[in-house]
Amino acid sequence: MNSSNYIVFGRRLTAQISFAIGMSLIVLFSLVPAVLILVISFTDIRSLPYLPTRFVGVENYLTFFSSAQIGYNLSALKNTFVFAFAVTFFQNVIALFIAVLLNQRLVGRNFARAVVFLPTILGVTVIGLIFSLIFNPSAGPAAELWAAFGQSSAFFGDPNLAMALVIFVQVWSGIGVAVVIYLAGLQAIPQELYEVADIDGATNWQKLRNVTIPLLAPSVTANTLLCIIGALQSYQLIYVLTGPINPATQVLSLAIFTQGFGGAQGGTVQSQGYAAAISIVQFVIVAIISLATLAYLRSKETAL
Amino acid sequence: MTTPLPVAAPPRPIAAREDTPVGRHRLTPLTLVGYALMLIVIIVYAYPLLFLINTALKSNAEFLVNPTGLVRAPEFGNFVAAWEQGNFANYVLNSVLYTFVAASLGTVMSLMIGFPVARGYVKHPRLWQGVFAAMLFLPNTLVTVFQMALRLNLYDTALGYILIMASGVGVGPLLVTGYLSSIPREIDEAAAMDGAGYLRYLFTFLPKLMAPVLSTIFILQAIGVWNDIILATILFTDQEKWPVTLGLFAFKGTYTSQWSLLSAATLIVAAPLLIVYLFLQRYLVASVVGGAVKG
Repeated sequence: MNSSNYIVFGRRLTAQISFAIGMSLIVLFSLVPAVLILVISFTDIRSLPYLPTRFVGVENYLTFFSSAQIGYNLSALKNTFVFAFAVTFFQNVIALFIAVLLNQRLVGRNFARAVVFLPTILGVTVIGLIFSLIFNPSAGPAAELWAAFGQSSAFFGDPNLAMALVIFVQVWSGIGVAVVIYLAGLQAIPQELYEVADIDGATNWQKLRNVTIPLLAPSVTANTLLCIIGALQSYQLIYVLTGPINPATQVLSLAIFTQGFGGAQGGTVQSQGYAAAISIVQFVIVAIISLATLAYLRSKETAL
Repeated sequence: MTTPLPVAAPPRPIAAREDTPVGRHRLTPLTLVGYALMLIVIIVYAYPLLFLINTALKSNAEFLVNPTGLVRAPEFGNFVAAWEQGNFANYVLNSVLYTFVAASLGTVMSLMIGFPVARGYVKHPRLWQGVFAAMLFLPNTLVTVFQMALRLNLYDTALGYILIMASGVGVGPLLVTGYLSSIPREIDEAAAMDGAGYLRYLFTFLPKLMAPVLSTIFILQAIGVWNDIILATILFTDQEKWPVTLGLFAFKGTYTSQWSLLSAATLIVAAPLLIVYLFLQRYLVASVVGGAVKG
């Protein structure tokens, strides 16, 4: 940032006006809604327009923890954590492995990198449909594989399996970005360090443990943080794969969608104030977990 | 993660390098393992897509008797049928319009707000820089965005959808301020000396200087808009305005068990992305990762 605020273009007003114009849309549709979400979480605002809106205090938050809702919400919370931590763990471990692999001198590795990154471009709807096809319970290739072991499964319809499959698809589609970040980290490691290690007679494992992993720590931090923040808030793929109301895969952000826009249990006119309250609860959880993760990883980084 | 793959350490002079080179080398057992693992990775990623293509080429009758095998009598009728029954011409046009306008608007806004903050041409640049960063960590605002759209008469309108999508600039402003730190302030001064006004400099000079980062911002936002399904779901009731993601999702609801037709529809939606990816692959990868790491 520049310390001097001297403007070379004469009057400051033009700069201020064009800044204000550029900012107005962002303020209106991004910043104002973020503040208002807290405000309307204290009301009983409905999804139908022009119904009277009352100020209800902390009622929505009490509802969230009430005996009628707590079971549902705790299960959504549990699903959110299972989903986020499993996705973060598997995505990072597998991405690191693939990155190390595709950093070798292998013919065709550029093709492999391109293929792994492809799902990032395809988007949730296309990916969701592809995996509905693969895990089609009546005639899909996964069903054939299961049948070969004498098993059958409803896959996304099976409450015991749905979450694992959703995690699998999320990891599959998100790994590309993580791989490229790890590859960038690997390529930033000075080659001389490996040469020195060779001279010292280090084994491959020792080089991985004592050179690669410590120097890759910043990439691990970036990837883990990106992944956990994303996974705690992600629900688009779950929505496409298992629908808005499947209890086995109900995560908190999907609960916001179903409470606010339909498909929620109960089935009254949706209280969007309640949905807003869930948004705030989720926001607090995401903030706490990402800050804790950041602090933990930073301390690890210095320890390595 | 204990696979003892060697990190390539070719003995060569110390030099600036981007990537370990691919070259002819002896096939040791370890490199064979490497190739085997790479093949597995490629299969895991290519198989679902190839299976989709394979299914899309099957007639309904063939799918019933041979759902998972290789297609015997490939036919393209599914694509025609899906295109017509799914109203995809309309959805694709909508998506192209939404994506192009929203991503362009978002990119221009990122430039308009990023530049004066980076240069201190508005008051409190540090505060605004903080706001740009905070915009990445906002709570889920679906409910309020919906309520505002209702009250501003933007519900179920293309304009509302585009404006809301455009305002989701994400890392855009931060990428602009970051990139501007590498463009010396003297260039601003030189342009001003030559008589360029602020707006002329902002909209004609800077876009040329900042083409790489502006296209990164555009691509990032375009991917986000093209692939959005949630905002479209809550904002549109009129099917004529649906983007292609929603059209495809609804198509799945209608033709639940006609998998070959459904596969053809999915491929129709995926094809433009695949083609763009084929040509802009390096660029797209750099964009997405640049944006992600910045965020």
